[in-house]
Amino acid sequence: MEFTPPEINLLIVAPVLIIMAAGSLGMVIDLFMPDGKKGWAVWLAAIGLLLALAQNIALWNGNYETFIPQNGVAMVVMDNFAIFLNATFLLTGLLVIPLSRSYLQRTGLEKPEYYMLLLFSISGMMLMGMANDLILVFLALEVLSIPLYIMCGMLWPRPESEESAMKYFLLGAFSSAIFVFGIALVYGATTTTAIPLIFDAVAANGLNAMIVTGLAFLMVGAGFKVAAVPFHMWTPDVYEGAPTPVTAFMSVGAKIAGFAALLRVLMLALPQASGEWVTAVAVLSTLTLIIGNVVAIRQGNIKRMLAYSSIAHAGYILIAVAAAADNPSAGVSSALFYMFAYLFTNLGAFGMVIALERNYGEGNLLDDFKGLAKRHPWLSLAMAYFMLSLTGIPPTGGFSAKFYVFGAAIEAELYWLVLIGVITSVISGYYYLRVVYLMYMFDGEGQLITGRALQFAVFVMAISTLVLGLFPEGLFNLTAEATLSATRLLAGG
Amino acid sequence: MAINTLSQLAVYSLVVGFIMTFVVITGFAYTTLLERKLLARLQHRVGPNRAGYIPIPTRGGKERKLLGGFMQPAADAVKLFFKEDMTPVMVDKWTYFLAPIITVIPAIFILAVIPWAGFVPYITPEGRDYFAIAPGINVGVLFILAITSISVYGVVLAGWSSNSKYAILGGIRASAQMISYELAMGLTVLVPVMLANSMDLGVIVEGQRGMWYLFLQPIAALVFWIAALAELQRAPFDLLEAEQELSAGFTVEYSSMRFGMFFLAEYMKMIIFCALFAVFFLGGYRGPFVDQVPALGFVYTALKVFLGLCVMIWIRASLPRFRYDQLMSFGWKVLLPISVVNFMIVAVMIVLVEEGVLGF
Amino acid sequence: MTGEQFVFLAVSGLTIVAGILVVTLRNLFHAALAMMLSFLGVAGIYIMLGAGFLAAAQLLIYIGAISILIIFAIMLTRRMMQAQDTPFNSQAGAGLVTAVLSFILLVFVITRLWRNEIFDSPPEVPTAIMNQIVVQLGSDFVSPGAYVIPFIVASMLLLAALIGAVYVAWPQVEDEA
Repeated sequence: MEFTPPEINLLIVAPVLIIMAAGSLGMVIDLFMPDGKKGWAVWLAAIGLLLALAQNIALWNGNYETFIPQNGVAMVVMDNFAIFLNATFLLTGLLVIPLSRSYLQRTGLEKPEYYMLLLFSISGMMLMGMANDLILVFLALEVLSIPLYIMCGMLWPRPESEESAMKYFLLGAFSSAIFVFGIALVYGATTTTAIPLIFDAVAANGLNAMIVTGLAFLMVGAGFKVAAVPFHMWTPDVYEGAPTPVTAFMSVGAKIAGFAALLRVLMLALPQASGEWVTAVAVLSTLTLIIGNVVAIRQGNIKRMLAYSSIAHAGYILIAVAAAADNPSAGVSSALFYMFAYLFTNLGAFGMVIALERNYGEGNLLDDFKGLAKRHPWLSLAMAYFMLSLTGIPPTGGFSAKFYVFGAAIEAELYWLVLIGVITSVISGYYYLRVVYLMYMFDGEGQLITGRALQFAVFVMAISTLVLGLFPEGLFNLTAEATLSATRLLAGG
Repeated sequence: MAINTLSQLAVYSLVVGFIMTFVVITGFAYTTLLERKLLARLQHRVGPNRAGYIPIPTRGGKERKLLGGFMQPAADAVKLFFKEDMTPVMVDKWTYFLAPIITVIPAIFILAVIPWAGFVPYITPEGRDYFAIAPGINVGVLFILAITSISVYGVVLAGWSSNSKYAILGGIRASAQMISYELAMGLTVLVPVMLANSMDLGVIVEGQRGMWYLFLQPIAALVFWIAALAELQRAPFDLLEAEQELSAGFTVEYSSMRFGMFFLAEYMKMIIFCALFAVFFLGGYRGPFVDQVPALGFVYTALKVFLGLCVMIWIRASLPRFRYDQLMSFGWKVLLPISVVNFMIVAVMIVLVEEGVLGF
Repeated sequence: MTGEQFVFLAVSGLTIVAGILVVTLRNLFHAALAMMLSFLGVAGIYIMLGAGFLAAAQLLIYIGAISILIIFAIMLTRRMMQAQDTPFNSQAGAGLVTAVLSFILLVFVITRLWRNEIFDSPPEVPTAIMNQIVVQLGSDFVSPGAYVIPFIVASMLLLAALIGAVYVAWPQVEDEA
């Protein structure tokens, strides 16, 4: 046997490697640190995320490929689509860390494992965006999910947290199994798992029942991850029971990662089946929008309300995915834009929920928001702004995002989907604005527990949302570039 | 012997398998005797000496007893067969009856891949390199590991189905112990596999032409030996039948020949693991002049197995039993790290030697 | 019926019957044993497909480790013999309907493709690879021209799972609940 040094450029995958290395390093450092010292983990995680982000941005416009097996198709691609999503995940991580710090200290959760699992989960999300092979997509899906299962149950003697972890784990494992089954069917029909080769096989031999069934299973698996109706049943319980920073992280990161996988599969592997999947996506989107928004009205617990709100937002992103069938560049870029804007808005809203939660499970009711405006005028203003953004009222990032999504859908002539989107946005105004109403129009005992880190993070997110609302063109141009490389194959083939 | 078709091979394997199983079962009987006699000698006792001896008259009118006790295994077998076969009322019938059988079957399965001798004219088929029941299984090592991992089922089933607290404690201890030590064993078995660059047991034996792996890899050999003792539940790892605390562990509710089958499996596995140790670390059937007279391979294998059995019995006579927590922490905190590190060192060394960085 | 077909029917029959027993047996311990049998049947199918390594790995991992672990957990947590829970709940009917519908779907998919070339001839593997299958597998897992990245990701996955398992099993010091 001959030993040849690997001919790979590790710089291309460096963002993921840095995150994985930081996570592993943390576990080693933890061995040698005295029990009392816990502050280092935050800094390690933050530095790792920053380094990865810097390297990630340096790769922009590179269109790198690496790890090329015998079939000639790279396992990992670092196109602008992947880089854009990587940046989204890394920013999510960077913002979740300041949000969680004081909460973790309150609940006795501040352990290095929290940050290490966060890093592992982010590395899985990043791989989700970079994967060019269904095997890797599946592995990335698991790397992203397993740390989340554990993080949900981190407060484990408490039954809600345990329930959350168990539910998420069982349904997550079940949906992963469905996803693998879909991969197996697609592999059976095309004898390959490489995404471009699936495209070639379908181009050569046409569609058959097996591919379409496989596609359906893949969509169900991804549907679980993004919490689309009717695969959303776990969402409210899991979001409610999990420690709130974990909920915040999950509601943004896991959802975007699910869409990353969905977009790669639908747009790059099976665009020829768009006639089949566009209807399915549109139906999913309709159900998700209606049920998410309508049920959210009835919720008295802010975490459950935001859970249904996150279901509803998955519906809006699904509109963009459906639009991508006819109009790939506009559809994908508006989906990317929506996810990026959603990241700031939703994390900001969760930041306020975290600050309001005195102890685990206390202070999660909508009524606890009463009278906050008098005591914390600036933060209440930020919260009100986030709520407006989630509703989609200008000038907010949420409005710009919805504007682009509906625009893409109109170009794709999905008028009825846009109509449902607009109507449900109006409905969502009711429950989002009720939070504002409660904060400003009532007197109450509500107290926020904030640290400087949390205030700073909320401030950053509010500013970002404002910037996205006032000057969306800059980001939109970026997403357009990210989309072009992702749909390059479509344009070429 | 020419064997060309699959069905001929099947007949061959069947015949050889039957003979080898018979040999090993006879070996089992005399291993029990060996153990009793040797233990007795180590403790300054005589051991069983009544059943069967060769009387030699002496001048004083008395007679000397030569080979005292060589019929003891037969007497034991007769005793076991004629004892009343009792089935406790509250046992779980199906699993209770299946457990002894499931214990014996894996032990017989492993026999299939063990090379007993090299190419011996007339009894090894043409084109095969060594004599075994199923020669040429190219994943032999993996097969052994897989079957070993199944053998825990017999103990667990026996422990659970007996519906007795001693038995179930024995069963729980057994399953934890076997899972824990399997890891260390699997990792050390990979060392000879890497050195020989094959999972075929015959190739591993031939790879020790120059030097036994025992001398190349004493750490691996030691770890394998310890893990094998734990897999066999031999002293000092016999705490699943620890008679002082659990009366007899998982076998407590079994009687007659059902009990005998557990006995059979245990001693068969002793023989098999000694044979495996010989194959992995002691050069298997290889020895002086074996290239000239291939049939000597049987003798060398038998010698090495005998040596291994004696060491096992010696260990039993010398060492006290582990406590349960000591057993677990020894397995996970000592054996497993040692075997992982050793495995990695060997892998790196092999690459360095092949690259010419290190020369031997 | 050829011998191969007979063996296939026997092995797959074992797998299916054992699989049904897993979900219907009232005794949890027996159900775990039935699951072990079902895994055994799957290993048999691997052997029939000529994947000896996979079969051995199946025996080693699923029967030797996972099933034993499950049985171990049952022995530790349940009363010895009284585990007589009913395996059905109120959703058994819905589950059955879903299972039957999925079955019909798969039968439909497979019969539609029955005459497709996928089913006519198994993909050909060069004999050189077949003879060195384990070596090939091992080097493919770690060579950058093959599957090294999934291999690394899988190891990260296991690491994360391990950390999680330790975290969940670690005794909680400040127990407030």
